[in-house]
Formats: sequence, structure tokens, C-alpha cells
Amino acid sequence: MNHITESEGKKNSLLPKKGEGIALKTVMIGISVLFLVYFILVPMVNLIIRSVFVDGTLDFSNYTKVYSESVNWNALINTVKFASLTMVLSLVITFPLAWLVGRTDLPFKKFFRTLFVTTYMIPPYVGAIAWTQLLNPKVGYLNKILISFFNLKSAPFNIYTGGGLIWVLTLFYSPFAFITISRALEKMDPTLEEASRISGASPLKTLFKITIPLMLPSILAGGLLVFIAAGSCYGIPAIVGMPGGIEVITTRIVSYVYMGTGKGVQEATALAVSLMLIGNLVLVSTGFIQNKRDYVTISGKSTHPNTVEMGKWKWPAFVITSLYGIIAVFIPLFSILVTSLIKSLSKPITFANLSFSNWINVITRSQFLEPIKNSLITATITATVGILLSLMVSYLVVKTKVKYKGVPDYLVTIGGATPSVVIALALIVGFSGQLGLNLYSSLTILIVAYLVKYLTMGVRTISASIAQVHISLEEAALNSGANFYQAFKDIMMPLIRPSIIAGWFLIFMPSFYELTMSILLYGSRTKTIGVLLYELETYADPQSASVLAVLILSVVLVGNLLVRKISKGNVGI
Amino acid sequence: MAQIKLENITKKFGGVTAVNNFNATIKDGEFISILGPSGCGKTTVLRMIAGFEKATDGKVSIDEKIILEAKDGKMLSFIPPEKRGVGMVFQSYAIWPHMDVFDNVGYPLKIKKLKKDVIREKVLKALEMVHLSEYVDRMPNQLSGGQQQRVALARALVSEPTLLLLDEPLSNLDAKLREAMRFEIKELQLKLGITVVYVTHDQSEAMAMSDQIIVMNKGVIQQIGTPMNIYETPVNDTVADFIGLVNFIEADVTKGKVRSEKINFETNGTFDFEGKGILAIRPENIEITTGPYDLEGILEARSYLGDSVDYRVNVNGEIIRLIDSVENMVNLNKGDTVHLKIHKSMVFPAR
Repeated sequence: MNHITESEGKKNSLLPKKGEGIALKTVMIGISVLFLVYFILVPMVNLIIRSVFVDGTLDFSNYTKVYSESVNWNALINTVKFASLTMVLSLVITFPLAWLVGRTDLPFKKFFRTLFVTTYMIPPYVGAIAWTQLLNPKVGYLNKILISFFNLKSAPFNIYTGGGLIWVLTLFYSPFAFITISRALEKMDPTLEEASRISGASPLKTLFKITIPLMLPSILAGGLLVFIAAGSCYGIPAIVGMPGGIEVITTRIVSYVYMGTGKGVQEATALAVSLMLIGNLVLVSTGFIQNKRDYVTISGKSTHPNTVEMGKWKWPAFVITSLYGIIAVFIPLFSILVTSLIKSLSKPITFANLSFSNWINVITRSQFLEPIKNSLITATITATVGILLSLMVSYLVVKTKVKYKGVPDYLVTIGGATPSVVIALALIVGFSGQLGLNLYSSLTILIVAYLVKYLTMGVRTISASIAQVHISLEEAALNSGANFYQAFKDIMMPLIRPSIIAGWFLIFMPSFYELTMSILLYGSRTKTIGVLLYELETYADPQSASVLAVLILSVVLVGNLLVRKISKGNVGI
Repeated sequence: MAQIKLENITKKFGGVTAVNNFNATIKDGEFISILGPSGCGKTTVLRMIAGFEKATDGKVSIDEKIILEAKDGKMLSFIPPEKRGVGMVFQSYAIWPHMDVFDNVGYPLKIKKLKKDVIREKVLKALEMVHLSEYVDRMPNQLSGGQQQRVALARALVSEPTLLLLDEPLSNLDAKLREAMRFEIKELQLKLGITVVYVTHDQSEAMAMSDQIIVMNKGVIQQIGTPMNIYETPVNDTVADFIGLVNFIEADVTKGKVRSEKINFETNGTFDFEGKGILAIRPENIEITTGPYDLEGILEARSYLGDSVDYRVNVNGEIIRLIDSVENMVNLNKGDTVHLKIHKSMVFPAR
């Protein structure tokens, strides 16, 4: 009897503390919802309204005017065309690679896996710069080598073409598909394939009848990611497409904004909304297909590693995979490294022509140092604020039963899925005084833009790890007499610390080298490293641009290694 | 039909020996279980019969036909799983989620390129056998675990194999269904007259269904025998411990006598060794009484289990567990002095 009254007394003493917790939760919801609504939802809706209302009345003249110009119409067609072709080419390359790495006895497959996944973190515009250095029709390293080797009259490749654009887009966005597909392949229960073998099907028949059909939803999802990323990319078309007169929607939007007139911005809104529409249309239609195939219940328990033995095909497959790795990763990176060290581009690459003079030039001039400093500051603030917001949003969505708790998470996902150029334009239109704030040309607007785009990295990382902490662990702390705040600090925080640090870097890195939004939002005193690099590239100083690119790559590489180490390989990039 | 011969099978994964010199012959129409704790190598043996694992050394043949032969890590011959013509049920069922029940079960026949109406007839027959006829058009995600299990069974049987391999097929089912399925599987085996190799870590499953049980531990066969044989006369303490409950007490063995100083008990018998030994007594072979008997101890705990009573008795510091019938339950309290009568004991050499 004594026992019962005692424990009831304890329960009662817990009640007011629970009240505290609820109050804190309300504050958390308040802050995160306010931020997300004000900086994501409002500007986006404002952008759409602005594009269809002229002088307060519903009017689609914006659209008819913009698309009556053939350059814009062609840009729209090009966007869809290049994104689709990039998607198809990416899947054609990626599925075999993911299968070789995930399911066969390919030699060094762990190394290849890391290699293909890591490419994801290389800024696409760095890849674009590398490939212009390699396949420029006049001075491209590879072109020159091929000309002298095969005794050709003219350069065999020209990067400034549609084909060149698709090539670079594919190399730098196919990791999206690779990651999606190889994860699904790894998660698939290998006995599903074994059941097919024991039923009498050969390995090849099993691949086509069981493996590929089961992978179809993941293949589709991966392809979709590539399509959207390629369609909303600015850096690659700006560097590879524009010199050859190939325009896409993103490059048109930037050109319009650069006109610096209200009319330019107004017409850009119509293009930006079109870009959003294309992405959403694709999302909705594939979502429809995927819903029809809701069988995807791939069980997680894989008991035995099931590797296909390739026999005599093992080494040929290794050679092909290596070749792809060399072409996709090593040659471009090597080209950038060499260019950063070269004294004169017109002279051949010899040791006499290499020096650190470009490097000394970059690290001693304030013209270069200022943007590097800006990027470090904005990325640090973005990552820190971003992690705090991510914590709140993740805790809300995973651990509480508050009504509408999923709304902040949903807004974050929308932000991450919106093309960068659209986010930037929405912020320009919204926060040049119109929505109560004037952030034009300030560091703050850059930070806001990065947060909108990259918050999803933090939320995904942290909510995954919060979900791993079973509710009973916190309940046990409450039961021991801790209040909500103490339980969070003593139990939750230590358990999710690795993912907090990993999430910080995952926001820091893309914010550090961001180009698309920065190029629309920077002011004379808030230039970033990405913008500087792009300027140097277009103003024909590829050596200094390459120095910056090597710097960025080093930051990314170090950040990546740290994330892997901290999260013990759990947070993969 | 199917007779399987496994000769000197050894399997190494890197430096670890998963299976060590495994020798067994499985007769035609026999239901044989490979029983052992997890990681003992039992699944590896099954997967070698199926063709998903190769051997480092040894030979496997089905009906005199060699399906696997290896020497020093080199394969001398190997028939891939799809050409072995055996049925198999996986622990995770491995039902393909993108095909309905009909297509799942009909897949082996489709691979054989049988005519559509023949496939239909055979699939329906197989489904009837596992009592799933009305689920023919369902998708796997609309089936319960038990039904998925039956689909897996139907798929394994549809091409009328003479050998059926089962890899812990009941471990994902709840207790009641598990017991019902034991009888169904056994009944199917008898009806079809096929040879079955059944891998499990559940001794009662193995006892209920098997003609023969192979007990494995750490990659080595401990004993092969009928369920009764293995329970009544285990060859060593490992087998005694793994099959059923047992009390182990240190003892000294001489030619005709075993004596445990610790609990002050001795009994006669003929043993083929002398020196340190282990006295093994199953709980159901001990009777609890109030009158003076073999052992004297203090009652530490008593649990009423419905069909029997589970006692723990402290005999000179040694806790002895025994299970006695409810009828025999006398009014005893914790701390009472009780007497134990030992009906049967086993003796093994000490390790």
C-alpha cells in the first residue's frame, strides 16, 4: 500500500514540470514557425502574386510578354530538354555503377563508392570551370593532347555546346541518382534475389525480373532529383552554356535582374514561377506513378552479403569503372590544380611554367581576401543559426504530439526543394522594403537565403538521429525527477551531439561556396567567394579562379572528412 | 527421390571456420533438422546445399550427382542454385513485393516456360495445399506474416521438388501460429514424400517435426540422432544443455561410481572414464518430498506454472532446479527443509 501512495505522489510532483515543457515547446514552435513563414512562405507567395498581378489586377501579360521573346521561350525549352537528357544519361551511367559497387565482387568497390558519393560535394561550377579548361576548343588541355596525339587538324571537342552542357551537368548531378539508387540496392533484402535463383532463374534473369523492377521507384526518385537539380542549376549553364549562346531559364532570370530595372525584376518573376511550375509538375506526376506502386516494402534485414561473382568480367568491369572515375573526378580536379599553379596559359605545361605566384597573388590581396572572409562569416552564422532552427524543427516533428507540428518541417522541405534562383528572386522582391524589411545588399539577406535553401540539410540529419532516441529514455529522465529542459540537456543532447556537429558542417559547406543566390543578392561590400570565382572566370583570369576553386575544394574535403569521422560514417554525403 | 550426402565439408570465411568437417547423409524422404545456437554454422550448411555458399573443402551430392566439390579453397565442381531443382523457404519469406500471390508462386514455372494453363493449374494446386486459394490475387503487402509464409511455402513446392530446404521459416511468426505451422509442414512433407532439411535454433520445433536431428555447435557436429535419442542420451554436456533443461553439478568419477562431494550424492553406474566429471540431472527427473531422501536442501523459490510446478532448492550452496507435477505439490514454504529424490542422471567428463 505504501508503495502506491508514494509513486502517485511522485507523479503529481511531475505535473507542473510537464507544464514548463509545454510552455517551452510553444516558444520553440513560435520562433521556428515565425521565421519559416516570414522568410520562406511569404516571399514565395508574394513572388507568385507579383508575377500574375499587374497594378492590382489579375493579368498574365507578364508571361505573354516574356515568352513572346524567342530567347526566353528557347530558354524554357532548353531547360526542359537539358534537364531531361541529363536525367536519362545520369540513370544510364549510374544504375550499372551502383549495381557494380553494391552487388558484385568489383575490386576496390568501397573506394569507388566513396569516390562517386563525394563528387556530390564538389560545387558544380567548379566542375564547369574544370571542363572548360579541358575542352575549350582553342586552349583546352584535353583537346590539345588529342590533337597532337592523333594528329588532328582541329579540336575534337567543344565544351560550349549543348552536348558539353549535358556532359558537365551529368557528371556533377549523377551522384544524386547514385546515392539514391545505391542506398536502395544496399537496403534490399538479398534473399529476394536468392529466391529467384532457387526458383530456376539465372543471375541475369534475376537482375531484370526481380532487381530492376524492385529498384524502379528508387531509380525514378533518383532521376527526379537529377532533373530538378539540373533544371535549376545556374553555375554550369552560365559557365558552359552562355559563351556558346545557350540560355536556360536560370541564366535568363539572372540577366533580367542584372538589368537593374523594376521591369526587369517583374519579368524575371514570370520566368521564376515557370521554373517552379516545371519542377512541381514533374514531382506531382512521378508522385502519382509512385503512389500506384506502393508495394515498396523492401525489408531492411539483410542477413547475408549477396555478391554476384563476375568471373572473367570482373577486371573489364574494374577498368571501365576506373576510367569513369578518372574522367569524372580525377582529370577535372587535376586540371584545376594545374591551372592554379600555371604561370602562363599560352605556354605548354612544364615544370618551369609552374609556380605558386597565383597563390601568393590571391592570398595577399584584399580584393581576394575580403570575399573569402565574407563567405567564412556568412557560412558560420548560417550554420549556427541553422542548427538551432533545425533542432527546434526536428524535435517538434519527431518528439512532440502538437497539432500541425509537421508544418515547419514541411516549410523547410519546400525551401530546400525550391530552385536557388527562385529563392533569391523572392527575397529581392520581398525584402527591398516591401514586406517590412529592407535587406538589400546586406550580409543578412545572404544568410537568410542560405538558411532557406540549406536548413533541410540540418533538419534531415538531426531529425534522423532524434528519431533514434527512444521516447522512454527521456521518460526515464523525467521519472528520475528531471524537468523537460534538464532531460533535453542531459539525455537528448549528448546522444545527438554527433549529428549536430555533422549537420553544422552540412549547412556550412554549401553556404560557403554558394554561387547562384549570392550572385543575385551580393552588394559591393558583401561579395562572396563563389561570386568572385565566377567573375574571375568570366574576366579571363582562370588561374586565380582555380586557386579559389582549390581552396573551396580543400574546405569541402576537410569538412567532409570531419563529418564522416564525427558521425562515424552514419551521415553520408 | 532425393538423398543428400555431405562429405568432409569445411567452410572458412577469411580466418574463421564456420563449418568444420561436416559429414552427414540425409536419406530419401527423411525430415532432418540442423539444430544449434545462432552462429553455429547451420545456415551455412543449408546455403551450401542450396548453392548460395561455396565450400572451402568437401563434397555435396544429391542422389549421387555431385553439386559441389572443393579442395583447399578451389572449386572442382559447382552447380549454380538455379540448376539444382530444390525448393527453399527463407527466414524473411522473400516474397517479391512487386508481384501478386499468383505471380510469386508461378514464377518458378514461368522460368521453366511452361504453358499458361499448366502454370495456372499448378499454382492453384500449390495454393490449395497451403490453404491460400482465396488470396491468389492479393499483393504481398495485403498479407499477414503467416500468409506470406504460406506463399513462400507454395512457391517452394510448386515445381514439385524432391528436396525442400527451410531456413528458420517459423522464427518470425507468433507462438501460436508457429505451433500450428509445425504440424502443417510435417503433414505436407509426409503427404508429398519429399526430403526436408530444416534449420532452426528452436529445439522444440526440431523435436516435433524431425526424423533425425543434427546438433551443431561452433561449426562442428555434436550428435546426430532421433529426437528421443538426443534428449535421452546426449553425447556430451553441450548437447544436454542445448536440448532441454539440465542441472550441472561437479562430480568425481571412478570405475563404477560417481560422487559429488558438493551435494553429498553418489550413485552407481559404468563409465568409460575416471576423474573429474559432471553430473547432469534434468529437472523433470527430480522429485520433491518431505521425507528423507537422496538430497537435503532449503526451498528457495517455487513457481506454479499451471501444468507443473517449478522449484529451486539450495543444496549446500548449489541451486538445483526441478519440475514436479501439480499433484505432487505439498504445502511447502520458502525456507523449508525439503528432500529430493533423483530418478535419473547422466555423467559427462569435465571440460
